[in-house]
Amino acid sequence: MPSTAASPAANTVRWNRVFRQAVLEAAAAFALALLLLGPIVGLVLDGYQVKNELQRPLLIAAIIAIGRFLVTLAVHTPTGQVALDRFNARRRQPGVLVVSVSESGRQRWWLLAIIALGLTLPFLASKYWLTVLIQAMIYVLLGLGLNIVVGLAGLLDLGYVAFYAVGAYGLALGAQYLDLGFWSALPLAALLAALFGGLLGFPVLRMHGDYLAIVTLGFGEIIRLVLNNWLEFTGGPNGVAAPAPQLFGLEFTRAARDGGIPFHEYFQISYDPLHRFVFIYLVLFLIVCLMVVVVTRLRDMPVGRAWEALREDEIACRALGINHVLVKLSAFMMGATVGGIAGVFFATYQGFINPMSFNFFESALIVAIVVLGGLGSTTGVIVAAVVLTILPELLRAFADYRVFTFGVLMVLMMIWRPRGLMRPRRRAFEVKGLCP
Amino acid sequence: MDWHILAQQLVNGLTLGSIYGLIAIGYTMVYGIVGMINFAHGDVYMVSAYLTAICLAVLFSFGIDSLPFALLATLATTMLITAAYGWTIERVAYRPLRGAPRLAPLISAIGMSLVLQNGVQLSQGAKTQGVPSLIPATLRFGEGDDFVQITLVQLLIVVVSLTSMAALTWLIQRTSLGRQCRATQQDRRMAAILGINTDRIISTVFVIGAAMAAIAGVLVTLNYGSFDFYIGFVTGIKAFTAAVLGGIGSLPGAMLGGLILGLSEALFSGMVNTDYKDVFAFSLLVLVLIFRPTGLLGKPEVEKV
Amino acid sequence: MNQPSFSRCLLAMALASGLSLSSLANAQDTIKIGVAGPMTGGYATFGEQFWRGASQAAEDINAAGGVDGKQIELVKGDDACEPKQAVAVANRLLDQDKVAAVVGHFCSSSTIPASEVYADAGVLMITPGSTNPQVTERGLPTVFRMCGRDDQQGPLAADFIVNELKAKKIAVVHDKDTYGQGIADAMRARLKELNADDRVVLYEGLTRGEKDFNALVTKIKAADADTVYFGGLYNEAGPLLRQLREQGLKVNFLSGDGSLDPAIVTTAGGPQFVEGAYMTSVREARNIASSQDVVKKMKEAGFDPAGFTLYAYAALEAIAASMNGAKTGDGMKLAEWLKAHTVPTVLGPKTWDAKGDLNETSFSLFVWGPDGNYTEMQK
Repeated sequence: MPSTAASPAANTVRWNRVFRQAVLEAAAAFALALLLLGPIVGLVLDGYQVKNELQRPLLIAAIIAIGRFLVTLAVHTPTGQVALDRFNARRRQPGVLVVSVSESGRQRWWLLAIIALGLTLPFLASKYWLTVLIQAMIYVLLGLGLNIVVGLAGLLDLGYVAFYAVGAYGLALGAQYLDLGFWSALPLAALLAALFGGLLGFPVLRMHGDYLAIVTLGFGEIIRLVLNNWLEFTGGPNGVAAPAPQLFGLEFTRAARDGGIPFHEYFQISYDPLHRFVFIYLVLFLIVCLMVVVVTRLRDMPVGRAWEALREDEIACRALGINHVLVKLSAFMMGATVGGIAGVFFATYQGFINPMSFNFFESALIVAIVVLGGLGSTTGVIVAAVVLTILPELLRAFADYRVFTFGVLMVLMMIWRPRGLMRPRRRAFEVKGLCP
Repeated sequence: MDWHILAQQLVNGLTLGSIYGLIAIGYTMVYGIVGMINFAHGDVYMVSAYLTAICLAVLFSFGIDSLPFALLATLATTMLITAAYGWTIERVAYRPLRGAPRLAPLISAIGMSLVLQNGVQLSQGAKTQGVPSLIPATLRFGEGDDFVQITLVQLLIVVVSLTSMAALTWLIQRTSLGRQCRATQQDRRMAAILGINTDRIISTVFVIGAAMAAIAGVLVTLNYGSFDFYIGFVTGIKAFTAAVLGGIGSLPGAMLGGLILGLSEALFSGMVNTDYKDVFAFSLLVLVLIFRPTGLLGKPEVEKV
Repeated sequence: MNQPSFSRCLLAMALASGLSLSSLANAQDTIKIGVAGPMTGGYATFGEQFWRGASQAAEDINAAGGVDGKQIELVKGDDACEPKQAVAVANRLLDQDKVAAVVGHFCSSSTIPASEVYADAGVLMITPGSTNPQVTERGLPTVFRMCGRDDQQGPLAADFIVNELKAKKIAVVHDKDTYGQGIADAMRARLKELNADDRVVLYEGLTRGEKDFNALVTKIKAADADTVYFGGLYNEAGPLLRQLREQGLKVNFLSGDGSLDPAIVTTAGGPQFVEGAYMTSVREARNIASSQDVVKKMKEAGFDPAGFTLYAYAALEAIAASMNGAKTGDGMKLAEWLKAHTVPTVLGPKTWDAKGDLNETSFSLFVWGPDGNYTEMQK
């Protein structure tokens, strides 16, 4: 808008107009907020009567109206205009960032620094923050796994939590029935999850887009319901205990339970439950690093390229002779494996699992991590997973308003960055040894 | 199994199915027109259940005794406010994401669903709420202990949902608004070029879907008498399953899917086992989709290059 | 390039808050005690009862001079009845708030994983309301109960069904939750002992959060049951009762303490639907002679100490008594002290066995009247 060049008189006229518009919009917002919030917030059900709390919606509506008024005014100032333009421009950024090989080398130092930080962190953090960090790492793993399915292969999976559950129950039930320890259960549970991935993937991969989404959602629910109902085997809602990990036969418990020697007795130090969490965290951190390497390599391998090609244009791929079922299936099973590993860590960290931890909201949260991370960006997924796990913990200060605020932030983050926090990066092809 | 037990289970299933169908309309219409799963729709239905109880309580506290008037006034108010919810949600959480990647509105919808659930919980408390039983009338067929019964409210549920389905189908097929809706659904850009205000059409669809959820909310509250802030999720997932089962995007499909789901749940828990009725419902969905990948009444997708 | 700075910022934030928070809690003039339970979510009513009861107890104990000369300070922990949150909250209470003991949790499925955390850290925990046997059956030394066990509650109902109601066909319904299924199974186990297990014509679970149980009700009707036992909470018990009555089934209805809540009248759609239903629960604490002063005080403050309120009060009393008695904050020593002494509480004198269970059963049977109120049945 050419406001800077206008004469003072024209400016006054314009500002009058803006002001009137702002007042009108604020009034409309006030009326709407009152209509929406009046009954729900203002009239509180108490038995078959209502209690009058109408001052609450009035207050909220007034805040909304004032906010709306100020925003409308702000948008019409030159700085506001610039900010709005920048905001909109950022939202329309193109999808993928292509980096040349020489440029990508710079990241190594960052990587080393982050790994070093990740390794020292558990010795600095208190136990509470360590548990939060472990949860964050578990979600990073889940996010990386689902990113293969949703981000790279473009298959919307709303029942990813099923594989997570398979992994967790694999450890707990394996320990209960087959006497498996943490280390033997880890690969087996991952394998089992992959098997489930194949089992689900095979029949449903003919479906498209959202039909696939709802079938996977259904599958996730089926797994949860079976775990909940099959009392004789899974213990149903009572859940099962999961064993703690061991370090070469040393147990991280106060007194030996599974026939080993407690870690603290072996090293002649006093017992501290922190040891177990530090150990879980370190193993988990290494696995996450390994997974990042694997996923990055896979993306540059033919199968990774095939996943992404299939996501972009399935018909073209099939015309080019790519076996679309096999490619999709590999993505599905790969994702499931990672989910299973995350499940094993979840179970061993919790020490006790029941089906309540594997509901649809969990799936939705993982999808949110992947989308917020920017569909396909590994860095993005990691950042998003850390944000979405630490955020609710920081929000504990809001106590009762925690989940509410979380929901609001989820909407705002999507509006702010609909393409996610990070843009996926792709290394450019360098053609070497060929004539130009 | 005795005939009256079987018939009773059919009545149970029909009622449940009609409710699923009514809510499924909201999912199916929104999906048809903007291609997104509106996860907050179940919570809109939950809000309408609360509105029903609040309206009734307010009306009774003013000493209004005429039940038909109270019910009609409640229905009208609830539909109005719930429709406003539908409109606002679209305006706030989805319209800014027009043109964003396909999954962005999905996440925004999940966020919206959390906001609604917890907003209601914060303001109304976590307790399960209820309305008193207002229409105790029932119709009974049969003698002695061998009877089939349908309460007046159950009958109302079936009749109202079939009527609203017919009315909506007429609206979509025969009116100018319906033609604009279908045009927007087919090709939003082309529709806009031809002079259709597509943003307005999309808002209208959200309003219609929310109003249908409001009807369901009023009827369900009258029928079961109790609700909490979490019912939107529980029923929403089932209703969405119904919409997909029938073929998402298709109005008769939503109703058909709802009825099949309701009936199969009732019959399965009646004949086999209540524990596994949800497992059965979801397995049915998976099976149907394997053999008919676009649902029962959905149009097969033509792959275009 | 803003991603490294962003992640660095986050890590810094996490670090900073971790460090600052851990250095915060070292005040010596108060003793911190955690009160954990569902403060939000579908069971927030019970969480509020815990908090109110414990708060009143803390106020009274502080007014009488506190524990060992120190004042009690309560810290609220919300688990929303989710196992995952329960573990997080337990860690937070121990680690950040440095609580010396915990009153909580409520849902057995939360209490069990959380109790592992407390026992691991050697911190005393007394639950005022988790009745699942597994809470104390795992041999954790610092875990105590202020209430009875499901395997005492279920048998009471079974005895009543067989001896008083003389039921011929019993339908058992539960909500597939640790608590609900727990008491249903305990009830059945007692039926077996009474040689009445063949009278169970139906045993099924419904799903929490659902409102439509018509299909199940019709099935109960088809099974021709004369008595229905429901293991679950009032949220589902209300609609189930209503639908039973609406379909014209004149069956006896029994349930456990999770259903004994005034809110069931609302969820059922009116007192006419709950009239005549029987429920087992912990002794009505408001009627015990020793609790009258506290009840009066709380009612004057505008809160009716229903349900588990006074149990939370008593749990805090027990914690304070053990701290005064053992002269230490070490949970293991407190636990040993509690197991060896009798503690006078608002609910009367209490003693505990080696597992941490109370030495007396405190369950009795209640019946709902036509006015939407329940009364304790006299034996």
